[in-house]
Amino acid sequence: MNHAATIEMETEKKLAPPANQIRFPLGIFGFEQIKNYALLANPAEKPFAWLRVTENNSLAFVVIDPFIVMPDYKPDIPQSDVDFLELKNASDALLLGIVTIHGQNRATMNLKGPIVVNRHTHTGKQVIIANAADYSVQHPLPVTETAA
Amino acid sequence: MLILSRKLGESIVIDGNIRVQIMRVDGDVVKIGIEAPASVPVHRQEIYEEIQRSNQQALTRQNATLPKLK
Repeated sequence: MNHAATIEMETEKKLAPPANQIRFPLGIFGFEQIKNYALLANPAEKPFAWLRVTENNSLAFVVIDPFIVMPDYKPDIPQSDVDFLELKNASDALLLGIVTIHGQNRATMNLKGPIVVNRHTHTGKQVIIANAADYSVQHPLPVTETAA
Repeated sequence: MLILSRKLGESIVIDGNIRVQIMRVDGDVVKIGIEAPASVPVHRQEIYEEIQRSNQQALTRQNATLPKLK
């Protein structure tokens, strides 16, 4: 690597976005025009977190660590997505399931199309896993019956 | 859109390394075989639509009430 390239890389590193900003170069399916999100976690709301639209603070996806609900979840991330996100190790990837809240007593998470984020570059992509047929887009979460 | 006619067993090749072959024709069902490098994702179109719909349903206001988990 020549010297100029090294300097460029270091500058890029310094300009890395703040920790909770995530850029989705391709957007999220159905929202391709929205590229920038902030990942916000409030300890009181665990295990949920928010993926908030940067350009519109009132809009957000609720997300969850899918492994909390399904410890044996085995998403097969296609090689093209591993390359796109520049993932070198499994530990580089942060996986998030998009949650749909259907009402007081029903919430589901999407296991066919998880959000995968490179923890180092803060780049994200909604990935259709290669073994999508084994999982549901609306996997039920064990919600307590608050109405009872 | 490029439209080609193929007979049973015939193929088309895309970009030199993706082969799509007509395996079986049974009434209005066509069985298609696809040979592609592992780096090329192949999915039914329905899965994109399903995920899109699910995302549209999931997008919420930031002050939405979160459920409690068991």
